[in-house]
Amino acid sequence: MSEAISMNTMTKERYGRRLTSSIAMTVVLVTFSMLFASFFLGFTVFRITSDVWPPMGFERIDLFLPTLSTVIIMMSSFTMWKFDSLFFSEGKEKKIWFFATIFLGFSFMASQVLLWTDLHSKGIYVQDGIFPSIIYSFTWVHAAHVIVAWMALFYLLPTLKVGVMIPSYENRVINVGKFWHFLGIVWLIMYVTLFLI
Amino acid sequence: MAFYEQHIHDAPTTFLSKYIFSYDHKVIGKQFLWYGILFLGIGGIMALMIRWTLAFPGQAFPILGNFLFPATGGVVPADTYAMLFTMHGTIMIFYAITPILIGCFGNYLIPLMIGARDMAFPLLNMLSFHLAALSGVLLLAGLFTPLGAAAGGWTSYPTLSTLIGSPGVGQTLWTLAIFVLGVSSTMGAINYITTIITLRAPGMGYFDMPLSIWGLGLTAVLNAIFLPVLGAGCLLLVFDRVFGTAFFLAGAAATSGTGDPILFQHVFWIFGHPEVYILILPAWGIVSDLLSFFSRKPAFGAKATALSMTTITILSTVVYGHHMYTTQMSPLLTQSFMTLTMTISIPSAIFFANWLGTLWKGSIRFHSPMLFSLGVVFVFGLGGLTGLYLATVTTDLYLHDTYFVVGHFHYTMAASVLLGGFAATYFWMPKMFGTMMNEFWAKVHFWITILGLNGIFMGMMIVGYAGMHRRLYNPFIYEFAQRMIDINTFVTWSAITMGLAQFIFVFNFVHAVFFKKEKASANPWEVGTLEWTIPSPAPHYNFKDIPVVKCGPHEYGNPALTGDVDFQFQTEELAKS
Repeated sequence: MSEAISMNTMTKERYGRRLTSSIAMTVVLVTFSMLFASFFLGFTVFRITSDVWPPMGFERIDLFLPTLSTVIIMMSSFTMWKFDSLFFSEGKEKKIWFFATIFLGFSFMASQVLLWTDLHSKGIYVQDGIFPSIIYSFTWVHAAHVIVAWMALFYLLPTLKVGVMIPSYENRVINVGKFWHFLGIVWLIMYVTLFLI
Repeated sequence: MAFYEQHIHDAPTTFLSKYIFSYDHKVIGKQFLWYGILFLGIGGIMALMIRWTLAFPGQAFPILGNFLFPATGGVVPADTYAMLFTMHGTIMIFYAITPILIGCFGNYLIPLMIGARDMAFPLLNMLSFHLAALSGVLLLAGLFTPLGAAAGGWTSYPTLSTLIGSPGVGQTLWTLAIFVLGVSSTMGAINYITTIITLRAPGMGYFDMPLSIWGLGLTAVLNAIFLPVLGAGCLLLVFDRVFGTAFFLAGAAATSGTGDPILFQHVFWIFGHPEVYILILPAWGIVSDLLSFFSRKPAFGAKATALSMTTITILSTVVYGHHMYTTQMSPLLTQSFMTLTMTISIPSAIFFANWLGTLWKGSIRFHSPMLFSLGVVFVFGLGGLTGLYLATVTTDLYLHDTYFVVGHFHYTMAASVLLGGFAATYFWMPKMFGTMMNEFWAKVHFWITILGLNGIFMGMMIVGYAGMHRRLYNPFIYEFAQRMIDINTFVTWSAITMGLAQFIFVFNFVHAVFFKKEKASANPWEVGTLEWTIPSPAPHYNFKDIPVVKCGPHEYGNPALTGDVDFQFQTEELAKS
């Protein structure tokens, strides 16, 4: 978030509410990090105790769709950051970045659905063993979070109005932004660990 | 401190907005209290059924037996026994103790004791209770499914908890219920942590906070960090059960490929050991305050107590492996976990010594909250010491699956937490409901309870030491265990006596809440913390003017005090001669 409004022009209440919101969001992100960290702990156990990976004669997942997802989610992080930084300004530009983020979020979900369809078409189902269990379950849980974050973007629609009361909306913009970037980071870790190495 | 001042909103007027969908932390605290008491009753009846089976194998459970188990003539069936100890453990830990100590007193005390008007996020607070209620419904729904509720133990280890071990819907509902409750508790933790950091009254540094708030705050930190770990385990278990994944299925149990049942134990105890402290830290904090209040002395080494609790909180995150010595863990790991576990004795000993230091030469007032607090000191001492045997690999290998473990963890997690909960309820009753409970009956309740629970849990440790297994429906099929029937009968009669004594509490409580006409004064216990500066019961939005804190929470017996009081409020300048 831009520092367009300096601290000395900020009321004590507004500063306090921003700080409160920031602490709460930090706790939220810690909890979500622990959820995904537990998954990765499980994955690590299976990965390092398995003689070969992928196990049980599975082949590596074709990298095209996961890479596409990675590019999309990284781009969406960028567009979200641009919207975030233009939040204080008026004009069309921030609307463009906002709707680009919405579109990229949707595209990411579409790429995930394509990934699952592709796996199905190759006869790889979730119940086929630990390897597909990991691929499907981890991407499901991540996708569920992306859907929630995508819906949260619509919660920011009022901020596109002309003459928006910035103090009323700034915390939700900051927080949804943080969550969006967080999911990008989680996906990046998943891309590297589950698909690349 | 007090980064901003919360607005005073109009008090709710309709029944729904006042009692059901209330944003007020005090009402939400009371909702959690009623919720916890309800589940305490349900979990208690289940405990009595377990105990009855162990004392009188093959005999019908009195009164309720014929109604609940008509097919066996009132005798608790073997499969139901497994369900009973699973549900008893789950209910007592997650649905009775947690809501009472963390849900009720966390919600009720944090804003009041730090001089705030409400939690930082009242809507989130309300949602956390309603999610907890939903979770309770999910859990109890398992009892009415065709194959009954979950029966894989409160730890729900695979493969007992997978479709092979528990084919019914009950175990799935259990897992979902725990997940939903985890979300609810996380919401609470977000509120507690944020409120404590940002809404403390002006002048209140962290070491000016009452120790109750330290305990509750540290609990919230543990909840925020470790509940998601259990959540991850529960999610994967649900996936195993519903979608056919193989995370916790090994060998032939998995259709192809293989998972790892032991992985669930790791995930469970990474959460599960901190959970012990999640439950007990609020009780420790409350007892640390009450010992000072009723000894009329400053809490001895209050800063050291707070820092010891913090150290224990940190150490609690790296000792989980001591629950898994019997899983053929590497000897290097078991020794590391043993050493780390033993290390917890050091901060524990510091604050235990501080408790004794607080009592030493105090002008002790033996009111009911003090009696219950002293009870905590006693039973926690026993629970802590017996924990050393289980932290040690060599003794744990023998004792692990015996009733010694049951006795030990009931001393620490049940007895001390329950007594702490009673101490808090008797103590803050006037502030919560505006009336005091009857002291005579409170003391009767205390003595029967403390004698009863020592009879139960000491008895359990004795039979456990003698080798009685902890999960068998009928351990007396083994010849060596047959001689233990008498002591099991004693344990069961102790449990029945203690169970009946809880009706004294319930009657006393209900009478004080609904029927007692005599109102309590603003500060009946003569205590200086912030909640006692406002009327009883606490008014809507607590403090009309946010208080300014000028001294610590335990200022007693200062010789420079004038007048006929031996304490001063936190809003008063420290008396100097």
